[in-house]
Amino acid sequence: MTGLSTTMSGSGQRRIMHSLAEYGFVVMFFLWAVYLTLATDNFATTDNIFTILRQAAIIGITAIGAHFVILMGDMDLSAAAVISLSGVVMGEAMVNQGFAPIPAALAALVVGALVGLANGLIVTQLRINAIITTLGTSSILSGIAFTITQGKTIYGERGNDPIDKIEFLSRNRVLGDWVPVPVIILFACYIIAFIVLRYTAYGARVYAVGNNERAAWLSGIKVDRIRIATFVVAGALAGFAGIMQVARQGTATAGMGADFLFPILTAVVLGGASLRGGRGKVFSTLVAAIFLTSINNGMVLLGIDIYTQNIVSGVILVVALSMDRLRTLRL
Amino acid sequence: MSFVTIEHLSKAYPGVQALAGVSFEIQRGQVHALVGENGAGKSTLINILAGAVRRDAGNITLDGQPYNPQTPRDALQSGVTTIYQLFNLLPDRSIAHNMLLGREIRSSLGLLDLGAMEAETARILQRLQAGHLSPRQPVGSLKVGEKQIVEIGKALVNDSRLLILDEPTSALNRVETEALFDIILSLKAQGVTFLYVSHRLNEIFQLADTVTVLRDGAHISTNPLASVTYDSLVEDMIGRKLSSVYPQRGTPAQDVVMDVKGIAVKGLLHDISFTLHRGEVLAVAGLSGSGKTELGKALFGDLRTSQGTITVDGRPYRPAPWKAIANRVGYLPEDRKAEGIFQELSVRRNISLAVLPAITNRLGFLNLKRERELATQQIDSLAIKTPTMEQQVLNLSGGNQQKVALARCLVIDPEILVFVEPTQGIDVGVKFEVYQFIADQVARGRAVLLISSEIPELLGLSHRVLVMRDGRIVATLETATTSQEEILRHAVGVATQSQTS
Repeated sequence: MTGLSTTMSGSGQRRIMHSLAEYGFVVMFFLWAVYLTLATDNFATTDNIFTILRQAAIIGITAIGAHFVILMGDMDLSAAAVISLSGVVMGEAMVNQGFAPIPAALAALVVGALVGLANGLIVTQLRINAIITTLGTSSILSGIAFTITQGKTIYGERGNDPIDKIEFLSRNRVLGDWVPVPVIILFACYIIAFIVLRYTAYGARVYAVGNNERAAWLSGIKVDRIRIATFVVAGALAGFAGIMQVARQGTATAGMGADFLFPILTAVVLGGASLRGGRGKVFSTLVAAIFLTSINNGMVLLGIDIYTQNIVSGVILVVALSMDRLRTLRL
Repeated sequence: MSFVTIEHLSKAYPGVQALAGVSFEIQRGQVHALVGENGAGKSTLINILAGAVRRDAGNITLDGQPYNPQTPRDALQSGVTTIYQLFNLLPDRSIAHNMLLGREIRSSLGLLDLGAMEAETARILQRLQAGHLSPRQPVGSLKVGEKQIVEIGKALVNDSRLLILDEPTSALNRVETEALFDIILSLKAQGVTFLYVSHRLNEIFQLADTVTVLRDGAHISTNPLASVTYDSLVEDMIGRKLSSVYPQRGTPAQDVVMDVKGIAVKGLLHDISFTLHRGEVLAVAGLSGSGKTELGKALFGDLRTSQGTITVDGRPYRPAPWKAIANRVGYLPEDRKAEGIFQELSVRRNISLAVLPAITNRLGFLNLKRERELATQQIDSLAIKTPTMEQQVLNLSGGNQQKVALARCLVIDPEILVFVEPTQGIDVGVKFEVYQFIADQVARGRAVLLISSEIPELLGLSHRVLVMRDGRIVATLETATTSQEEILRHAVGVATQSQTS
């Protein structure tokens, strides 16, 4: 009998630890939301929730690319710099070069994809660690962005601002003038990402490479090609986020993406993707991205200053990383 | 009174009962051998003793006291040290630092007393007949056998009374193995008790006083070594009578399925030519470093050939893993755990990954129904023990993990199978299954290139033997008329000399 009871409590305890590590942030999210609902007047309003989701869109969309790259066991630190450069390209093309919105957006996307291609080629062909590579490209991209803007903010004339043409990406609402466009785009991107990972050969290969690169190669998977493709996807998604950010703020600056690097990676890790690759649920990354945005939103509502917000963000990243560690412990 | 008493020890993992009520005793000052096939429960048992895994049920006493380690540290403090195949050493630190890790000697000022530490280490090295090693030497510069000595030294520092050795000789050469045996016997004379896990039965006959056999998580027998024989041990391990070890061989067909002409890999292989026939087992023998494993890699495209031609079924073939698979060449890598399986992916996905192109439509979507069918076929035909095909491979026993690696080879419906050391590190009973499996493949008209270091196995299974030395094929022998001695002579390179003299 004692044997039986140890079995029960042993595995029960393990299961609780495991679920906590896996979904602990969902519990934290819930408690935070309950607290804010009680402590503030306007947290649990439709308007504020849509505000959070709108803010989450930029981080969330970029985090899909980061999620894919982390699934392969790599890391892409260049996403924030891509947001800046693509945003600057978008703004420059429309405001100063007279591009129509679609060609300008294409240019911004191509810039993102090319950065991804460069990252992928350097990582796979020169065999340089992805963190180092993308840290290096970040610096280059940021330099290019500042060269284009000369450190100034790109914006159009009031009343005749070309950027107004893409403003709908941020401001407009659909479905009976209710749901903001960026929220629709965010959820659509995640549904596509989920389908790609779950139901396509590419998704199967990403998981395989992340789980065991050597076995993947010996199973006939062209590992280099998958890794390059994934960096390209990540770059293009960050480029897209850059366009969205231009639409949101109505201007473009060379530093516009800089603040996103931390939340993007935190979202992926908090969502439970393993840093060693091969494991991660894309919708968890979405929930984590929304959670992170709601933390900043809540702190603003509570009147907490920006410096404290930075401290809290850092603490969350560390907590997320320790949960990643906890998940890999096999008791 | 016995030193360790294990009673009704049980442990379950998802889908597997790793240990089911195991009871036996270990006597003080003995070398107690623990044998069993993969999945018999040996690893689980030693992990429980080492405090790395918690038991579900059962009692253990150590020297009359209840023994219930919650962590590896608890086990160490109770005087139980486990030395795994992979060592737990700091390569950049000296032998002295490693041996006294956590037990550093400090001077009255609280600083490390390096002189005292080195003196203590030298004393222990002396006791381990390794006085030639300097306590200041970094561990990273040591040979495998010497690292093992450092591990054993750590155990002595901790005053260990029970030393658990998990396959200690798997990476040692013969001289190192003999040295290890000397150390074990001298420590035994000083009263240390050993639990010795190995699949090399001849070592057990050399060393052990008592042997315990586990099978499928159950305790089968514990006997003094004097009362067991090699055959009785093997029969206990596999649970059936030993009849003929090697299955009957058929006659290969005349048609050539693979024709290799003059291939080379820079620095590794030179001017390799041979033919492989339908229904043939072609063995490749050679010492380590002879290029035999590289030949397997080159044929599968894991190594790039710099010259020569290969045809498969008359079609020209330039090896790369994906082309090999498309040409129905299957490859079972040497290190199946590291190269053959995806631990965290499902059994289903592990099997289907080799045939993704065949189950993907034009838009890139997988045909999941077809994927499940293919997985089911392989799980049934190889009798892979798994609760469902969705189970993560890491929850399967070692033997079943290997079968999953094999399933990925077979799901491509191979015409040619390249096996690299297919029986390395596996237990006797499973070996026979592998032999039968190879015979079955050949009977179906497949051709097998069998690369192995075990000459008796090559002789028992193959039709012809290629002997390699220094990256070249130095002899092609008919199995029926050759011998272990002849193969060895060619492999070490004395054959030509004896012919000319």
